[in-house]
Amino acid sequence: MRDFLRNPAGLVGLCLLSIVIGAALFGPWLAPYDPQQFHPKTRLQGPSWDFWLGTDQYGRDLLSRILNGAPSTVFFGIGSTALGVGVGSVIGVIAGVAGGRTDSVIMRVLDGLLAMPELLFTLLIVTFLGGGTTQAMLAVAVTFAPGMARIARSSVLSVRTREYVMAATARGESRAWIVGREVLPNALGPIIVEATIRVSFAIMIGATLGFLGLGAQPPSTEWGLMVAEARQFMFRNPWCVAVPGLAIAFTAMGFNLFGDALRDAFDPKRSR
Amino acid sequence: MTLAYLLRRLGAIVVVLAIVTVAVFGITMVLPGNAALMILGEHATPENLVAMERQLGLDRPVWVQYGTWVWGVLHGDFGMSLRLSLPVAQVVGEAFWNSAWLALMALAGVTVIAIPLGALAALKRGSVWDLVIGLFSYVGTAMPEFVTATLLLILFASPEWPVMPAGGYVAPSEDFLGFLRHAILPAGTLGLILMAHISRQVRSEMSEVLSSDYIRAARLKGLRGRRVVWRHALPNSLAPAVAVISLDVGYLLGGIIVVEEIFAWPGLGRTLIYALQNRDLPVIQAITLLLAVVYALSNLIADIIIAWLDPRVRHA
Amino acid sequence: MTTRPVLDVQDYSLAYDTPEGEVMALKSVSLAIRPGETHALVGESGSGKSTLAWAIMRYLPDNARDVSGRIALSGEPLLGKTLPQMEALRGKRIAMVFQDPSSSLNPTMRMGEQIAEVLMRHRGMDKAAAWTEAEAALARTGIQRPAEMMQRFPHEASGGEKQRVVIATAFACNPELIIFDEPTTALDILTAQQILDLFLRLRQETGVAALYISHDLGLVARIADTVSVIHQGEIVESGPVHQVFRAPKDAYTRALMAAVPRPDERIAVPEPAPARPLLQVQGISVRYGADGWLTRLLGKESVPFYGARDVSFQVHPGELLGLVGASGSGKSTMAQVVSGLRDFTGTVQFGGRDFTARGDFDRAYRRDVQIVFQHPDSSLNPRQTIGTILSRPLRLYRLCPPAKVADRVRELLEMVLLPPEFASRYPHQLSGGQKQRVAIARAFAAEPRLVICDEITAALDVSVQAAVARLLTDLQRKSGAACLFITHDLNLIRQLAHRIAVMQRGQVVDSFDVADANSPDRHPYTRALLDAVPLAEEFQGVTA
Repeated sequence: MRDFLRNPAGLVGLCLLSIVIGAALFGPWLAPYDPQQFHPKTRLQGPSWDFWLGTDQYGRDLLSRILNGAPSTVFFGIGSTALGVGVGSVIGVIAGVAGGRTDSVIMRVLDGLLAMPELLFTLLIVTFLGGGTTQAMLAVAVTFAPGMARIARSSVLSVRTREYVMAATARGESRAWIVGREVLPNALGPIIVEATIRVSFAIMIGATLGFLGLGAQPPSTEWGLMVAEARQFMFRNPWCVAVPGLAIAFTAMGFNLFGDALRDAFDPKRSR
Repeated sequence: MTLAYLLRRLGAIVVVLAIVTVAVFGITMVLPGNAALMILGEHATPENLVAMERQLGLDRPVWVQYGTWVWGVLHGDFGMSLRLSLPVAQVVGEAFWNSAWLALMALAGVTVIAIPLGALAALKRGSVWDLVIGLFSYVGTAMPEFVTATLLLILFASPEWPVMPAGGYVAPSEDFLGFLRHAILPAGTLGLILMAHISRQVRSEMSEVLSSDYIRAARLKGLRGRRVVWRHALPNSLAPAVAVISLDVGYLLGGIIVVEEIFAWPGLGRTLIYALQNRDLPVIQAITLLLAVVYALSNLIADIIIAWLDPRVRHA
Repeated sequence: MTTRPVLDVQDYSLAYDTPEGEVMALKSVSLAIRPGETHALVGESGSGKSTLAWAIMRYLPDNARDVSGRIALSGEPLLGKTLPQMEALRGKRIAMVFQDPSSSLNPTMRMGEQIAEVLMRHRGMDKAAAWTEAEAALARTGIQRPAEMMQRFPHEASGGEKQRVVIATAFACNPELIIFDEPTTALDILTAQQILDLFLRLRQETGVAALYISHDLGLVARIADTVSVIHQGEIVESGPVHQVFRAPKDAYTRALMAAVPRPDERIAVPEPAPARPLLQVQGISVRYGADGWLTRLLGKESVPFYGARDVSFQVHPGELLGLVGASGSGKSTMAQVVSGLRDFTGTVQFGGRDFTARGDFDRAYRRDVQIVFQHPDSSLNPRQTIGTILSRPLRLYRLCPPAKVADRVRELLEMVLLPPEFASRYPHQLSGGQKQRVAIARAFAAEPRLVICDEITAALDVSVQAAVARLLTDLQRKSGAACLFITHDLNLIRQLAHRIAVMQRGQVVDSFDVADANSPDRHPYTRALLDAVPLAEEFQGVTA
């Protein structure tokens, strides 16, 4: 942990992440205005004392809308990642532990699914499921699962050849013990690191779906949707697209930096 | 690089593509609303629907339909678009080349700019250069394409300062300069994200090479810094860089969908979104398959380049 | 004795600035090497011996700082030199030969170019002249077809060939001084012997001065004129080799020398009474890698690779059998077969029972046969405490009631001379030797009848090696367990074993009683292995 804090990237990531999580937990209560309230006289304004980050095409307060949209954006990222990582890891661990024919069949199928660009795959599934936040979340989770399965498998495989696992096998330990007590605890590191970084992807894909009209629906304050709705007015007031856009970028960056720092902390070769 | 290796790779690609066809066909089969409904519209009578389904062959078992579709695809026949009354091959064919130009421009820009940037950051580790490049790559990788595109539009295509067109397309055969002007912002959007990611990867690969035993040995032989970098370090970090670029082609193909939509670029992405919104199944199938083929082939090309760069792979 | 030294290090100290504060890596080091002299620098890992080499080459990380003293090459001070000045000097006046030729050669460059570039840089030759000269340099190292070797990439050459390329590069510009940093440690015994012979011949031909860094005192005694022993950044003793080794003054030098394995000083358990074999392996073969369908389709001639081929040997109750061979000879494959980690064909007979497949080994067999691995860093699960690790065999085989497990763990720790409070520590808090003791304790916790030791001393420092070997025989004496000891160290195994089996390319080529090691009817390969590691007479009879 000390090494973690000494790493400036990790420190910045931690700060960004604290702000984002804080906004996600308390944002709706901190918002100075009702996010849906129209202020017809103050439409498309830049930052001012009344509206710290300006207003959109209906005169709604951008800061309040960002704060209000924070929970759904962050929980979309974390939720879909958790689901995708969970399912993917189980598949990957099964493949890695079973080996042989099971492994090669699973890997072939995963190769096929990974041959489609991520966003394309997500779009197909969303079209199948229909638009909406829950559907988008499921779609992202399904998209993540194959990649995570591959990472979980390679992590399991690298641990499986360590001498302490061989020692357990030679000792005659049960398969459950070897997987549960010797392999998994040591294979978890790379999976957690990858999951952290993936949260930022999930947030970006979720926002993109919102932007394309395939995710959250109006009048939601989902950040991608906010950019899409304000796009027509972007030349009259750049703030109304820049604010939600940068909010997405900062959130994604927070998870990215934090994940990278985690990776360094886990990897003995990179630390020091 | 033996013939057996190439054949094995091609074989693997065929297997992967076979799985892709099953996945694509499966997903389009379960999409709500079938082709008959699409053609006849919402007010079709049940009798008409049944007749149309028979005419389109939708009443046959799924695997027969799949077989017919694959057989057609193998002969270059992707069927008719349900919405545009044109052969899918024609719709997709034009769009493909428009997208290909965009993707290649982005990729070329990235390769020329990102690799030197990453190498520079690794060589000047801990310097201001490293910090700036690192910052750029962190910000770049955290911005989804639609945010980058929107910000670029505000900067370069505002009515007050319209340096670039805000969207649209001009055929290169008509007006090549106009084509380039229209392509710069979309290609730039795609390139920025890739650049951010690839420069970071090249930096880490290059730092690893620079701290290797053989670079130490080269320095202790008294070779000049330039030769150590250009002759010893760079060739060894190029192969991993190519591997990263080939994986990023996946992002590129995804990003192109969004970017084309924003900049109204008549390519595969825009066509796909139109097809998705209108449930134009044959078009969706064709584009998905095409993107998967492009991705697989680009990975194969990358492997060949890597084998050419690295004798250890070449002789394996 | 008025000749000016080629290398003169005086009162040199070096410190690293770390977040924890300043760490002294070298303390007041002094040494001098005269023309034509070979000076050995001996020390264990972390002693600072490589740091001194980097300091001489002026190749130091940014956080390193010269604290005091001077370093001079033929009277010319090196400490004040700029980087371009040092670049002009490295490879030309001081060259270096590294430990592992596989990692010190650039994998994507032809080996010829890697020699020729030095000639082009330092002797101003054009490309053609440099390649011709490089070929000659390579020929001097005894490479059969140098022109062909120069066209190859490093991965297409053997370890010995690669090290010859590195040596040819070092000698290419006729430097005044060459630093050898453990040049044979990464090589097989026989290859190492050839590289040493090459070193001696080239030294004779060129009269170069050499700083030879090594941890191997036996080797140093054979090749060096003078020696310095370095311990924790300080030179504790130095002088002519014969003087230092015959009458070591410093306690650390004495301890190091006492730790060198001496074949005639037995530390084995007494020869057990003749009995029926405990373990009998008969006609064991292990085949690696099956052909893919495509290879078969293309009609490629199938070339099976055998990790072991028709191997037979036996281990008697209470005895220690040494299994010796170069890396890749199949000795570790046999350890894996016997401990049930690898599929095989043939028969393993143990305690009167026959096993013909890996799946046949039951828990009773696995309890009776325990294994200790080579790498202490990876043989203990990093997420379990030492206590958990040691209690596992006790619980698995139900060797003592649950309430008594903690007591037994304490006993086990005491048995391997570790304090009882280690039970609550994690592996990364222990040193390599301590971890290896824990691994040994874990094996003996099962109260086995056979313990397999797979190169258990290879990753340890000399002084720790000796202690671990003694501990093992001590436990063997107390428990009566037999032992299959796999190693490449012939001097060590002759101290420990009752009988020795020699493996080469997957087959047992020779098998004999230790007493007959020097008998004339030994297999030529055994002979060659033994001749490669003679022990200097200085080491006879030194004790700590």
